[in-house]
Amino acid sequence: MKRLLWIVLIFLVGCAPWTRVGGLYKSESHNFSVDLPQGWMRWSLGKNLLITRDGLSLQYILIERMKIEDSLKHTKKKFSKDMLPQEAAEVILDNIASDQAVLDFRLIENQPVRIGGFSGFRTVYTYKNQDGLKIKSVYCGFIADKWFYGVNYNAAQRYYFDKDIKTFEKVLDSFKLIKTV
Amino acid sequence: MKSIGVALLFCLILVGCATTSLPPVTQEFRFEEDEKRLWLRSEEEQKVIDRSGIIYRDQELEAYLNEVANKLQPAEVLTHISFKVIIIKNHLLNAFIYPNGVLCVHTGILAKMDNEAQLATLLAHEMTHATHRHLLKQFRDVKNKTAFLSTVMVTLGGVGGGMGDLATLIGALGTLASVTGYSRELETEADTHGLKLMEKAGYHLEEAPKLFLHLKKEIEEEKKREPFFFGSHPRLQDRVENYENLLKTQYKDKRAGIKNSELYLEKIHRVILDNSRLDLKVGRFKIAQRGVQKYLAIKPNDPKAYCLLADIYKQKAEKGDLEKAKEHYQKAISIDSSYPDAYKGIGLILYKQGEKELAKKSLERYLSLSPQAMDKAYIEEYIKQCYGGEKP
Repeated sequence: MKRLLWIVLIFLVGCAPWTRVGGLYKSESHNFSVDLPQGWMRWSLGKNLLITRDGLSLQYILIERMKIEDSLKHTKKKFSKDMLPQEAAEVILDNIASDQAVLDFRLIENQPVRIGGFSGFRTVYTYKNQDGLKIKSVYCGFIADKWFYGVNYNAAQRYYFDKDIKTFEKVLDSFKLIKTV
Repeated sequence: MKSIGVALLFCLILVGCATTSLPPVTQEFRFEEDEKRLWLRSEEEQKVIDRSGIIYRDQELEAYLNEVANKLQPAEVLTHISFKVIIIKNHLLNAFIYPNGVLCVHTGILAKMDNEAQLATLLAHEMTHATHRHLLKQFRDVKNKTAFLSTVMVTLGGVGGGMGDLATLIGALGTLASVTGYSRELETEADTHGLKLMEKAGYHLEEAPKLFLHLKKEIEEEKKREPFFFGSHPRLQDRVENYENLLKTQYKDKRAGIKNSELYLEKIHRVILDNSRLDLKVGRFKIAQRGVQKYLAIKPNDPKAYCLLADIYKQKAEKGDLEKAKEHYQKAISIDSSYPDAYKGIGLILYKQGEKELAKKSLERYLSLSPQAMDKAYIEEYIKQCYGGEKP
């Protein structure tokens, strides 16, 4: 029994879910590269890139990629190849606002931007989580070929959002697709 | 010391064997100790709802719903339970009551009903759960209360449709009342007594099964199980059968009564449109479309509704939908030539169809009517492209 516990413990340590990051990060499988801030921690068990400095409930940066025909979690709406960035933004915002865990959702900003050379969108919104904490979030995204890419910064509105917004802007500016069609 | 131990043991035995045959709330109503705790817990759970931002605020509508609720109950009950109806912004079919009489009704279910008699059916059914102390009875049936409530929350965390998140918000009691409902026996009692309340208040009893048939049809069409009691097909079938049996047996001569269709639809018309927006957000195009059409039957000259209908067609984008979207945007403009969103909608369709001249005209009109629009930067970019810039 004791031996088994040791094996489990060693296995768990070997698969530490959080790893320290900093500098250039390349994801061949997701076809993008990005410069990550020093001292942040990356969650290594998920399929998307997720980093935080002080903990996920305080701030995180998420870079996700999905096929445009994939279903979203909270809306039945889907992306399509010929969507304008504004229309893609609407799909993402509806998906977020339809999440039952997102309360009192308010859109503050929605405008076109270039991300890694692609026409995309930048949205800023606030909401309350279920603990009543007010969260401010920036979600940028674009459609390239048959993929949707999203770069999201999410932080507690008070103190944390302002503290790391510049870090996020640097991450966003460094975002590039490795291969373009 | 010994006597304290004996008293404690006695209390434990009492709690363990607390009876589940409780009388309904009448003039002689007396609070049970464990009932007080349930009421306190209900208040705590309601505070979370109050702070959450999910309450649909419409004072006039709330006053109307409370008026209907109070009309259903005799004064002796109202002295003990102050019923209060709260509207929740949510497209799913749901209504539930806390033991202290706070009754939560989703916009989704309000928007589906046709008249006040159907509303009275729903309210009377739910209020009976409170007056007949169903939650307390259900609670006493369970031996380990704390573990039971924890299990409710944990189990529902895994239920689809985002219910796990909503369950955290409405609390264990709210979840218990709104998702699982009560035992078949207690639900039947709510049907039976609810119908009695409707009869006393003079409502048209034949509307009772119609409400549930209506909801059942919607669920069948959607082919998706909702997490809530009123979104569950077998539960609705039970309600229909119960009400139909009661009408055939106990109320066979009662074929008339108050329906108040016009009054009801007038009171809830905003909810219908707002709920259609929620349905559109989650991509329930058909249901959203039906909602807007229902609204248009009440308010046939509202450009907002035509514009929303056009948005639904535009986003659904099946064969022929874009043409229908353009028609509805045009209809909105024909009703109100200064309604900005219709110009934007039509302009975006034309822009994507390569009709740059017409698109430019519509989009420029949109910005002239709505110069501070949040999406101004997008529109300016499209207009620039129409003038010969590169496609964005």
